[in-house]
Amino acid sequence: MSGTAERRCIDLPEVPALGGIYAAAVKKTAASRIGGVLPGGGRRRGADDDGRWQLPAVEHRVRRLRVDTGRLTRYQRLMGDTVREDLPSVFVHGLAFPVAMSVMVDDGFPLPLLGMVHLSNRVEHLRRIRPGEELSVRAWAEDLRPHFAGAQVDVVAEVGAGGEAVWRGVSTYLAKGVDLPGRTRPERPEKPVFTAPTRTGQWRLAADTGRAYAGVLGDWNPIHLTSLSARALGMKRHIAHGMYLAGRALAGAAPREGGYEWGIEFASPVFLPGTVDFSVADAEGGADPYGTVAFTGWRRGASREHFSGYVAPR
Amino acid sequence: MATSTSSAASPSQASQGVRPVVVIGGNRIPFARSNGAYADASNQDMLTAALDGLVARFGLQGQRIGAVAAGAVLKHSRDFNLVRESVLGTALDPTTPAYDVQMACATGMEAIGSLANKIKLGQLDSAIGGGVDTTSDAPIAVSEGLRRVLLELARARTPKQRLAALSKFRPKDLAPHAPGTGEPRTGLSMGEHQALTTAAWGVSREAQDELALKSHHNLAAAYERNFFDDLITEYRGVGRDNNLRPSTTLEKLGSLKPAFGRDLGDKATMTAGNSTPLTDGASSVLLGSEEFARANDLPMLANFVDFEAASVDFVRGKEGLLMAPAYAVPRLLARQGLTLQDFDFYEIHEAFAGTVLSTLAAWEDEDFCRNKLGLDAPLGSIDRSKLNVAGSSLAAGHPFAATGGRIVATLAKLLHEKGSGRGLISVCAAGGQGVVAVLEAR
Repeated sequence: MSGTAERRCIDLPEVPALGGIYAAAVKKTAASRIGGVLPGGGRRRGADDDGRWQLPAVEHRVRRLRVDTGRLTRYQRLMGDTVREDLPSVFVHGLAFPVAMSVMVDDGFPLPLLGMVHLSNRVEHLRRIRPGEELSVRAWAEDLRPHFAGAQVDVVAEVGAGGEAVWRGVSTYLAKGVDLPGRTRPERPEKPVFTAPTRTGQWRLAADTGRAYAGVLGDWNPIHLTSLSARALGMKRHIAHGMYLAGRALAGAAPREGGYEWGIEFASPVFLPGTVDFSVADAEGGADPYGTVAFTGWRRGASREHFSGYVAPR
Repeated sequence: MATSTSSAASPSQASQGVRPVVVIGGNRIPFARSNGAYADASNQDMLTAALDGLVARFGLQGQRIGAVAAGAVLKHSRDFNLVRESVLGTALDPTTPAYDVQMACATGMEAIGSLANKIKLGQLDSAIGGGVDTTSDAPIAVSEGLRRVLLELARARTPKQRLAALSKFRPKDLAPHAPGTGEPRTGLSMGEHQALTTAAWGVSREAQDELALKSHHNLAAAYERNFFDDLITEYRGVGRDNNLRPSTTLEKLGSLKPAFGRDLGDKATMTAGNSTPLTDGASSVLLGSEEFARANDLPMLANFVDFEAASVDFVRGKEGLLMAPAYAVPRLLARQGLTLQDFDFYEIHEAFAGTVLSTLAAWEDEDFCRNKLGLDAPLGSIDRSKLNVAGSSLAAGHPFAATGGRIVATLAKLLHEKGSGRGLISVCAAGGQGVVAVLEAR
């Protein structure tokens, strides 16, 4: 991951509230529509002189971040995880997420925040993180590139403690239908037929799953809250947060000691309420109880994959 | 009953320098289908009834027993001292110590096995082990949301704090939370877990129905020959396990629709007929040293030779939820220098017909025995005519913690009737656990 040398630092006094960020995003989306500049065409802020869109060379930072243990406990309960003196990886993501969002609603950020599709995450959880540690967060966007369905971008968040990076996560988002000037979209790759593995578990997700997650980690994106709020944004129904699914998976699959890496790719949304069949198993050739594991979620009794991922000890 | 002559301790016991422990007898109340005859009886009521019958049968009134250990899987928080409270309600000397054990469906086996060890070591001369469960009088908890509101309310010191706590209340929190048979870490019920294992071992619907049929017929035949007369005491008007269907047929069992594994489509084979129903009941077993039995002129039905627990990693799908006994048995056989065929009776708890048949299939499977059990050769097959000869859980029912006591008492009596030989017990349990044991005739 690139260093900070070429990026301008914007220090935020504290972690921004996501409610305000979503409001700003709605305003920004509305403004771009009123201005007649639709995603996928035309010139807009962030475009450089030769018409190619560029990511702003900025990095948003919060220098001091403390963990509220009540919130940590609520997170651990929500995920069916044990209440222990150790920050779960998705909880850390939740702490850093508003800073990453701040990057994406920055005036210079070329893609519309609302309507972006969460494609995947890759996280290096470099070491155990204790709830009492004073953390810092920095986030930036990088690698804007074409996707077969539009444009995709990596939003990187790095959490530090005592001057060392302890957690680094890359979230990849897709802006559907957006063409990057001068760049051609790749062919849509052949989609392998999904065959469900043997299930090892089942999650029954209530209609309020998204509200419960938002209540803990603050991600009040309307597409996750209620059927009505999701339909207002063009969704069929409201869907589970991708990071809720990741959190549930990791509650069972994360190693009990040491650092680890994990990743998740989202194949299709989980509509709420809904039932997800789940599988977690040793990745090929693994025998160590806490070796690399692969996990998959799919729609109950159907061949529709929702997500797949892995966890590997470091 | 006549007092048996003593027999020498098994070689392994002698070599361990411990004395034999004998099963003197057992008593249980008939098992009753959930929400029926025992709907108003609590765990404490039923365990007390089972103990009362045991006390009466063996003349233990006023005696101080070394220890009473039992437990329940579904337990109300008020029953924090379930077994001691039950003992205080019996004619046993009130100075009899008692404690609760909990190991899911292996509760009874763990209680009895641990007591047996204490007798072997000379710490106890006598003991009573057992278990009880009710799914009718099940503890119902308030929802997690309401529970947290109430706890916070209790901690609140100012009106403002109380208001803050109350403001967290949501109407949906009023829905009570009844315990289920779901595995907390997977969200799948025991039946759904077993359905995966049953399918993985390719156990047919017909084989499961045949096993269920046999269980009913064997239990009915055992009642017919008055086998249970000195093992069961009537309770609340019930004289026999009321799940028993002596006249059931393969046709009737075959007409039932799948109850578990329906996601498997036409591979679904598990029905209400070849799965155990929810049941209420209690059991108890009297153990003692040979000296205790002789001094009190009590029978010695069988030696409780040894027992072994195992667990499997079902959370990550490495093994089926109820397959732990398949791992415990070879360890116990190795320790005792026995083979799977060295038994005259096999008591394999019928959580589901599929559990028994998957376990037997695993022991016959070269690949499983080599790669999962680390053996050079398969354990092999058993003589199926020696399996669950007095019926098992499919017919009798399965009040979770009471099953171990039912099986130990039944097997001890079978061995004593035969007058020689050994019996193997295998009980699977929630959480991917299992306990197995070896008994030897006296």
